[in-house]
Amino acid sequence: MLLQIIINGLLKGGLYALMAMGMSLIWGVMDIINIAHGSFIMLGAFATYWLFTLLGVDPFLSLLPSIAMLFILGYIVQRYLINLIIRSSAFITLVLTFGIEIFINNLAQVLWSADVRMVQVPYGAANFSIGTVATVPIVRLMAFLLVIVISLILFYILNRTTLGRSIRATSQDLDAARLTGVDVPRTYAVTFGLGVGAAGAAGTLWSILFPITPMMGGILTLKSFVVVIIGGLGSMLGPLIGGLILGLTEAMGTNLLGATYENLIGFTILVLVLIIRPKGILGGTD
Amino acid sequence: MVILEGRNITKKFAGLVAVDRVDFKLHKGEILGLIGPNGAGKTTMVNVIAGIYAPTEGDVFFKEKNISGLKPYQIGRLGIGRTFQIVKPFPGMTVRENASVGAMFGARGKGRSARQAEKKAEEILDFVGLGDQMDVRADQLNVASRKRLEVAKALAMGPDVVLFDEVMAGLNFSEIDRAIDLIRKVRDSGITILIIEHVMRAIKRVCDRIFVLHHGQKIADGSTDAVLADENVIQAYLGKRYKALVG
Amino acid sequence: MGNYRLKNYLICSLILLGMMLFPLFNNNFVIRFGTDILMFAIMASAWNIIGGYTGYASFGNVVFFGIGAYVTAILMEKAGLNFAVAFVLSGFGAALFAILIGLPVLRLRGHYFAIATLGVAEAMKALVQNLELTEGNSGIYLPMLDLSVKSQYYFFFYMMLGTLVVTLLVTYLILKAKFGYSLIAIREDEDAANSVGINTTYAKTMAFALSGFFTGLAGSIYAYQQAFIKPGPVFTVGTTVKMIVMAVFGGIGQLFGPLLGAFCIEIISEVLSNYFLAIHTLFFGAVVILAIVFTPKGMIDIASQKKFGLAYFLQNIRENRV
Repeated sequence: MLLQIIINGLLKGGLYALMAMGMSLIWGVMDIINIAHGSFIMLGAFATYWLFTLLGVDPFLSLLPSIAMLFILGYIVQRYLINLIIRSSAFITLVLTFGIEIFINNLAQVLWSADVRMVQVPYGAANFSIGTVATVPIVRLMAFLLVIVISLILFYILNRTTLGRSIRATSQDLDAARLTGVDVPRTYAVTFGLGVGAAGAAGTLWSILFPITPMMGGILTLKSFVVVIIGGLGSMLGPLIGGLILGLTEAMGTNLLGATYENLIGFTILVLVLIIRPKGILGGTD
Repeated sequence: MVILEGRNITKKFAGLVAVDRVDFKLHKGEILGLIGPNGAGKTTMVNVIAGIYAPTEGDVFFKEKNISGLKPYQIGRLGIGRTFQIVKPFPGMTVRENASVGAMFGARGKGRSARQAEKKAEEILDFVGLGDQMDVRADQLNVASRKRLEVAKALAMGPDVVLFDEVMAGLNFSEIDRAIDLIRKVRDSGITILIIEHVMRAIKRVCDRIFVLHHGQKIADGSTDAVLADENVIQAYLGKRYKALVG
Repeated sequence: MGNYRLKNYLICSLILLGMMLFPLFNNNFVIRFGTDILMFAIMASAWNIIGGYTGYASFGNVVFFGIGAYVTAILMEKAGLNFAVAFVLSGFGAALFAILIGLPVLRLRGHYFAIATLGVAEAMKALVQNLELTEGNSGIYLPMLDLSVKSQYYFFFYMMLGTLVVTLLVTYLILKAKFGYSLIAIREDEDAANSVGINTTYAKTMAFALSGFFTGLAGSIYAYQQAFIKPGPVFTVGTTVKMIVMAVFGGIGQLFGPLLGAFCIEIISEVLSNYFLAIHTLFFGAVVILAIVFTPKGMIDIASQKKFGLAYFLQNIRENRV
């Protein structure tokens, strides 16, 4: 029984981790808290849904188009909208992302109605068992593995490519980066695109496992906060650890107290971490 | 009378010892200089006195009272004012409002109303030479004026001791001369001064005594002339060429 | 100088008089609309104290609204107290919570503070949904006000108006006193404020408590007005969003900014609802985006410009673009 709970928690935690990575990247590099983060996750989910429903594309295959579409969307939003106000107070930027969230969520609702939808793959119920103690749904395992893969790719991009170097440079010292020839508006836009692309990937995977609606983003944004805070800013490992911790504590907590306590667990952890150690487990660069 | 004293002040940050067992005495009415190469621990020393850090070991005594570990606002209210190396004005407020804040919350602020504090602030601003810029927003001042505002804020608090942290950095020659005059005026008005500086011309002309930090340790302590002639100081700080450069 | 003061007082008095006479000339629906505007004006103005003047942008102020609502509901329904007592206790209850949660949370700055307050609000919502005392998700019924329908509308309108007047009056008095200076100093440079003798912990916490107090009062009136409350609506982050957008739109750090913002935003919202029912929230989002990009300093700043034209908008963008 405990093993099952742990497995459930870790698998869901992996998904949380991927969601949070996008937010962590954007926050860490540009000091922007993207309130609309959940909206982009939702868009990724719906991209997968429509590709599946209208064109029969297998949801796992739709990862690539979903990521690509959201990357482009993120790039445009940052380059032509957020860049306009980025030097004003952090707070103003926050309100802007609020506005974007309202806009995207309601646009989705207008276009696709508020109905709850599901991506029902034929192999959705397949699972394998660990003895008689636990069962692991194949789709969840695959999603988890993909999270690892995507994290590695993100890590590679940030640490082993020129692009990644420019991103890290602008996050460490904006003026110095400028002086060494980094195209800051473009770098910001690419960073935001990457972050949103990661959100899109998370959305795709989410749609395979859970029902989706246009308003699903709100709570996911909040959970991403929790994950980012627990893990700490500054690396892609932080959200990974944070996500796993959140997934585990939610699984164990809801088992103990009941399903309605799910949110309370996460937010209590958030507040406690902020009070005790705001930088999080791995956070250090600030 | 010893108005400010540090005994065995030590400040460690994780592995790094920024200030290492430093003693100093500041006598009422004097101007004591604190010099040393960059990274010697001077600003850390000031931050310890001003309450931003509590000393890892050792104590700070103000008017014979142990003030180690008190918060910055408490130390401010007791009568120690300070300026910041990189000036910290209140950018959105006018010059007058900036100084008024000092007058409202400093050592003499207790009984004052906002009105009275403003009056006091205007006096101080005239004293430092900003009388004609009282309605200008602080973020629109030039460097020299910002430095003066920084001094005004500290003075408005009505302190007995002021810690000047590199007030002259970034000033040109004539501005430095005027700053020296201002510092002398401050001392003449009854305030005791501890001044950190790199500008040697100013140190020579303004300080009664100097003590020197190097790698966190005190390496000299005495009258201005004696210290500036001290071989150790010259080696540590400016290299052997100093004597040739300054007369 | 004297003329200027007098003129301002005169204008304020006239506007106040207008607001007081407002219900007499309107039907219930319009009175209710006005009451809602006043309610948001209270919350936005209260938010302004901690967010605008002190510079600590709280993203969880709705928690005080919800606490005010629930304290009133529980005291009236379960303890049988009358509204007057419940009302006052709600305000103090919210203020007390602000102090308790403020002491740890106000040590954080910027984004971390915002998220912490958001977390507190969400945690409180989740808690209330699970507690027996608050009847969880079933909600609490309050005793009905024993007056005619018309009189009820009047009652709640004037309660909100009165609370708003007190909120703004207290804010005004604070701004003229040393306390107000300390808040603004904290916003401008907290380290300098500390060094100049300001007990920033005390000042911030007081500001937060005041903010919570008035927001709690608004929640209390709301609960009595609705006669039935559930956790979702009174703890929703959407309310925080609204109060912040209103404060920003009208002008943060301006006394009447939030009131103006509440008025404009509610009117815009209503107009959009009428013309675009299905997609009015969509347009609302667009309005927020446009307002933030072109007029980040708010409406009051526009009103105080001597020359106003395209240049103003372009100037804002030039100052803030990357």
